[in-house]
Amino acid sequence: MRKHVLGGVVGAAVAALVLAGCGGSPSTSTASASSDKAAKHAQSVYDQINGLTGEARTKKLVAMATKEGEFNLYTSNTDIQDIVDAFSDKYDIDVNVYRANSETVLQRVLQEAKASFQGADLIETNAGELNVMQSEGLLSDYTGALRDSVRPEGQKDGWTADRFNVFVVGWNSKLVKTPPTSLEDLADPKWKGKVSMEVGDVDWFAAMIKYYESKGMSEDDAIALFDKIAKNAKIVKGHTVQGELLSAGQFGVATSIYSHTVDKAEHEGAPVEWRSGSVQPVQPVVIRPNGAALVHNAKAPAAAMLFMDFLLTDGQKLLKDVYRIGSVPGQGDPLAGLETTTPPEKELLDDAEKWDGLYEKVTDGGVATGDQ
Amino acid sequence: MASVTTMLRSAGRADAAGWRRFVPTPKVLIVGAVIVVIGYLAVVPLYYLLWGTFFGADGFSLAGFGRAYGNDRIVGLVGNSLWFAFGAAILSLVVGTGLAYLQVRTDVPFKSLFFAASIIPLIIPGILYTIAWIFLASPDIGLINAALKPIFGGAVVDVFTVWGMIWVEGLHLSPLVFLLMVAAFRSMDPSLEESALMSGASRWTVFRRVTVPLVRPAIVAAVLIMTVRSLESFEVPALLGLQNGIYVFTSRIYFTLRTYPPDLPAAGALATGLLMIAIVGVALSSLAGRGERTYQTITGKGFRPRPMELGRWKPVAGAAIVLYFALTVVLPLLVLVYTSFLKFYRAPSKDMLTSLTLENYQDLIHTSSAMTALKNSVLLGVGSATIVMALMAIAAWIVVRSRIPGRKLLDHLSFLPLVVPGLVLGLALSFVYLRSPIPIYGTLFILLIAYVTRYLPYGMRYAVTSMHQIASELEESAQVSGASWWQSFRRVLLPLLAPGLVAGWIYILVVSFRELSSSILLYSPGKEVLSILIFEQFENGQFPVLAALGVVMVLTLVVLVSVAYKLGAKVGLKQD
Repeated sequence: MRKHVLGGVVGAAVAALVLAGCGGSPSTSTASASSDKAAKHAQSVYDQINGLTGEARTKKLVAMATKEGEFNLYTSNTDIQDIVDAFSDKYDIDVNVYRANSETVLQRVLQEAKASFQGADLIETNAGELNVMQSEGLLSDYTGALRDSVRPEGQKDGWTADRFNVFVVGWNSKLVKTPPTSLEDLADPKWKGKVSMEVGDVDWFAAMIKYYESKGMSEDDAIALFDKIAKNAKIVKGHTVQGELLSAGQFGVATSIYSHTVDKAEHEGAPVEWRSGSVQPVQPVVIRPNGAALVHNAKAPAAAMLFMDFLLTDGQKLLKDVYRIGSVPGQGDPLAGLETTTPPEKELLDDAEKWDGLYEKVTDGGVATGDQ
Repeated sequence: MASVTTMLRSAGRADAAGWRRFVPTPKVLIVGAVIVVIGYLAVVPLYYLLWGTFFGADGFSLAGFGRAYGNDRIVGLVGNSLWFAFGAAILSLVVGTGLAYLQVRTDVPFKSLFFAASIIPLIIPGILYTIAWIFLASPDIGLINAALKPIFGGAVVDVFTVWGMIWVEGLHLSPLVFLLMVAAFRSMDPSLEESALMSGASRWTVFRRVTVPLVRPAIVAAVLIMTVRSLESFEVPALLGLQNGIYVFTSRIYFTLRTYPPDLPAAGALATGLLMIAIVGVALSSLAGRGERTYQTITGKGFRPRPMELGRWKPVAGAAIVLYFALTVVLPLLVLVYTSFLKFYRAPSKDMLTSLTLENYQDLIHTSSAMTALKNSVLLGVGSATIVMALMAIAAWIVVRSRIPGRKLLDHLSFLPLVVPGLVLGLALSFVYLRSPIPIYGTLFILLIAYVTRYLPYGMRYAVTSMHQIASELEESAQVSGASWWQSFRRVLLPLLAPGLVAGWIYILVVSFRELSSSILLYSPGKEVLSILIFEQFENGQFPVLAALGVVMVLTLVVLVSVAYKLGAKVGLKQD
């Protein structure tokens, strides 16, 4: 008996693999044909809806989307489940969510696009990755009154911001009695070993360098400032680890932590904050738009578009519940009165190597090397 | 591929009668199929990687090597890497071998607890195990340091050093060695040791001069896998090394793949370096396995492995084991369990006890995809472990026993996936199956293929090591008595290989639960696996929820592993 089972398994595996390996252009060309057809259909849906607003828009969209019944959402927002559930409850439309880090979302979208595979109907991820997709011609325009209500930094070519990741300077209130008032403060040797920098925050770094340049500092001087801060800093990988170690007291200050990480931990009772009562946050805060975009060859364009509208209306409230900062400024705007700046997206896209290299040098060169 | 066809052709010639009837025998069919499957699985990702390494948009180029190795601190980086990798390999070898010897060959106390406990460090996801050690041994917030401070007046242990990295990585990898050595010791005829003892050798001399030489193939295999694994290891260097500026060279693969567009040439150049090390290693290990008869302790002569009596050393061994487990298993696990009852981590204190909560476990239950993910992970883990070990049982026969020319190539082939970074494997598979007419993309099958590919090298080491210990005379006498190749394989070899196959199976099952780097690119909505859930909770900053998930994983896998171990003990050699 075992013989047959084993033989069967091996045989089937070989057959499947060999067949799969031999597959090639024929299926790709059929896929490409159906993808082109879908692209035409999707574009006609987008064109019909983009011109509408208010009641008329919603009514038409709901009718079309209900017919589609479901859609695929690719996202790097791991906090999106509540929004998805609320949407499904409201419209009775299933959302199939693929979640990964932004780099992987981009890889997957590009791989699928090259094979003319229709995967995502809506993509929600970071600015940099969306810009790459836009430059590859994979996205379709989304217009209307809702897009116009988004903070101007979030109305981008090909995509629209639904939330902002806000990089702030956070501190452990037990360890730090007099919080820093500026990033420059942290270059002071008295902060040695008490600061932490994140090893991958190139866009935050680029935003701050550009900001200092706009204040009249040379690029070299600005980089020298970061070198000094890095000399005081323990380097960590990942904002979650950084947040966890900050509240545990492994270091006193984190230079580029997400506001929602700090706010959520503070709400749970952890001794961390980035602003409190009379204490002003360190400014400028770097805001990086994260957005959503329609896909040019979507299978379910109407459902995707309906979700997009939902993100900018009901979704904004739900984002607030998980301490995220929405893209539509409303009442009690958490960014009101704060000086903000954004990463230089185009430069980061065109000259990624330069900025990666610069930040790698900063984080490499500094640290507490040899001192411990 | 050409050499594979040659191998097939020669396999056919070896069975000339079969060709004459134009009906290939089951032997030729099975052996051929295994060679084709392994060749296919191993070559596809490697081809993708190497092609990407040498052929960029502008044709052939070696620029990737420049970017990968052309760092002005390259000497320091390589030095750190090797120090870390060899250190971790040696630590895990000593710990794993010692524990396995005590478990299999002696009458050490607490045996039942022992087996499950020995592999717990493997079950805890790397990121959790590492963070648990930060909470224990950081000079600033470490609990061990806090406890010892009154005595020594300062921080005693520092996890943020190369030694700390070796400690965490070595312990985390030690179960792999443990499982490999358990299988080797189980298949060893103790009469050799007994006669040495009888002739007046001390226990230590016996261990050094008789026991260790007999399991040398297993030891070489362990060092090989450990070194390559530690060179590729990411979590430990990233979380412990970065903090004090200890950069490990190969964790740069991560950064080269993270940028856009991913620097495939540089990642490939780094992997090529690993490939060289691995090829030398595999060659060394087959050299160590030469002179086959030296290691064949399962022969025609009957034997019953009988545990050695420790005598007055028994309490000492018992105490040592308790201490070891307290330090490496219980402490980190306690940190996780403790954290899983908190809203955020802080050092234990009296008023803390009032704020313990079950909220994290409730969160977990309410995560809609948790049950699906658990089910898929079990399916994939059991599936890939079974397929790999079934393939490898045959492959080990081909490599060790058959006379097929080029058989060593199969050994090398199945080792290749070890050096292919997970993300590159994901890219390669999605590239192939997005273009395949059979709808594999978007199903669990693509994950199964990925897992089988990733775990080929481990399966091969486990199976080959066991095969080295079995004397060919057993098979030969079966065939002389009229058994077909398949009959003697199934009725004689398989049962004797069982300890090694079960050990490999357990290892693959456990690590498959943690596989993230290729899963995250290949899974589809509704087909989540547990590692994706861990990733989500991690990205969300839900460390306590993550700790709860870790605890659940440990419990699930301990049950699964115990069952497998019990079943495995039944098919394998009977123990006293």
